[in-house]
Amino acid sequence: MARIIVVTSGKGGVGKTTSSASFASGLAMRGHKTAVLDFDVGLRNLDLIMGCERRVVYDLVNVISGEASLNQALIKDKHCDNLFILPASQTRDKDALTEEGVERVLNDLIKMDFEYIVCDSPAGIERGAVMALTFADEAIVVTNPEVSSVRDSDRILGIIQAKSKRAQAGGEPVKEHLLITRYSPKRVEAGEMLSYVDVQEILRIPLIGVIPESEAVLHASNQGNPAIHMKGSDVSEAYEDVVSRFLGTEVPLRFINYEKPGLLQRIFGGK
Amino acid sequence: MQNSLTRKPIEIKISTVVAVAILLNESSFPALEAALQEMTAGSPDFFDDEFAVIDVEAITDQELDWNALIPLFKAHGLNPVAVRHAREQDHATIRSHGLSIDVVSKPRQEPEIQSAAVDAAPAQPAANPAPAEPVAPAVVAEPQVIIRNMPAMLVDTPVRAGQRIYARGADLIITASVNNGAEVIADGSIHIYAPLRGRALAGATGNTEARIFALTMEPELVSIAGIYRTFENGFPPLQAHHPVQVKLNGDSIEVSSVKSAG
Repeated sequence: MARIIVVTSGKGGVGKTTSSASFASGLAMRGHKTAVLDFDVGLRNLDLIMGCERRVVYDLVNVISGEASLNQALIKDKHCDNLFILPASQTRDKDALTEEGVERVLNDLIKMDFEYIVCDSPAGIERGAVMALTFADEAIVVTNPEVSSVRDSDRILGIIQAKSKRAQAGGEPVKEHLLITRYSPKRVEAGEMLSYVDVQEILRIPLIGVIPESEAVLHASNQGNPAIHMKGSDVSEAYEDVVSRFLGTEVPLRFINYEKPGLLQRIFGGK
Repeated sequence: MQNSLTRKPIEIKISTVVAVAILLNESSFPALEAALQEMTAGSPDFFDDEFAVIDVEAITDQELDWNALIPLFKAHGLNPVAVRHAREQDHATIRSHGLSIDVVSKPRQEPEIQSAAVDAAPAQPAANPAPAEPVAPAVVAEPQVIIRNMPAMLVDTPVRAGQRIYARGADLIITASVNNGAEVIADGSIHIYAPLRGRALAGATGNTEARIFALTMEPELVSIAGIYRTFENGFPPLQAHHPVQVKLNGDSIEVSSVKSAG
């Protein structure tokens, strides 16, 4: 049975698209047929992060309005054979998303035997964001350890509880996961940043991972490579852990404690 | 999903909705428009499309331009659904805008819970100074059984930013946290067995005896019977690790730790 997962946050710039790209890639690398959909109509970015912007011909809105078939619009990922990207339209706005249209696209994807459908939500709580979460089975709420991001995540959790189909049907609710990104243990220790415990204490949903703040993310984005492919980096390993936890393996949290650089590291300069 | 076989296509139940009441004390359109403009300060989502009942009791002798008025409220994000105390001759116009005529049958009754509770409380310590006196049970004001017509409303999930919970005519008990940006309202008292970080408004219909209790108080605002207090400089320091209560003392909000109160 296919699972629809929305990656959302309320606030912008916290790492939704980066996380969607890495999470979807991670699922695909473990052999699951996965689709990742960009719901940020008008401000599409996912194709850039996935490095397929030059191959975009048709997009989500074309499929919804019947101007293209799903097969024409889906772009195969350059790293994984079983990962497909459905980009957003750059020229339309979010009003082009209709509930019936989105439902039809998701149902068609399920019929194409996709196991996981990852919906990359736009920022905000308007139409695009609501459409992305309406049909979700699970939600990954991306939060930075900072008060405004935490509050926006809290707001979006309330919206998931009110507006998702699962909430409205009154059955099993949307399964919520907390993903904390741009985490800097050093700044947490200095008291400049909320700790992951603080964030979880406010939001009170299960933690699926902590992604450390890293320059590798920017490099990866600039190269059009999801950060999970930056082998050997802490970010890549943290995302791998997230995928493991999502698939049901218990993995201890990493990259949450600040290690003082040793003497040699200080002399020769670590990275 | 499977019970769709047994599910009826339409179910009709009594449901209570929260609406704001718009009390008009003035009939001149420019004056009303200016007042709304000032109130919302141009913010289009000030009212967030709330249901509104327009009450014209104060100006039943005056002519109102309903055709201009209803769009004006809509433009300010209010969603008028009914009119109270409208003049007979205006009913057709009001209905033509899709609004209902709300007939107010009787004045609102105050729940008679507080008087009994207050009388019982001070009587007890005075009449019963020595607890080791089992012979005089008749004198001891037995804690009066207070019969309430509504049970308390119970909430077990966190109340999140942007969410609002209203316990009409009842106490509100919440076993999870009330987060920043959330709003909990009760006509009675509010009990929170977790941190209160949002807004809490007890005694919303004017019960001055209502109180707010929380295990941890970090509220944005507390209000009892319409008297409110914000905490720009943080909550006053109290004994740590004790539940905190907020009550009304005259017309000011008083906060104390539950331990020190008794």
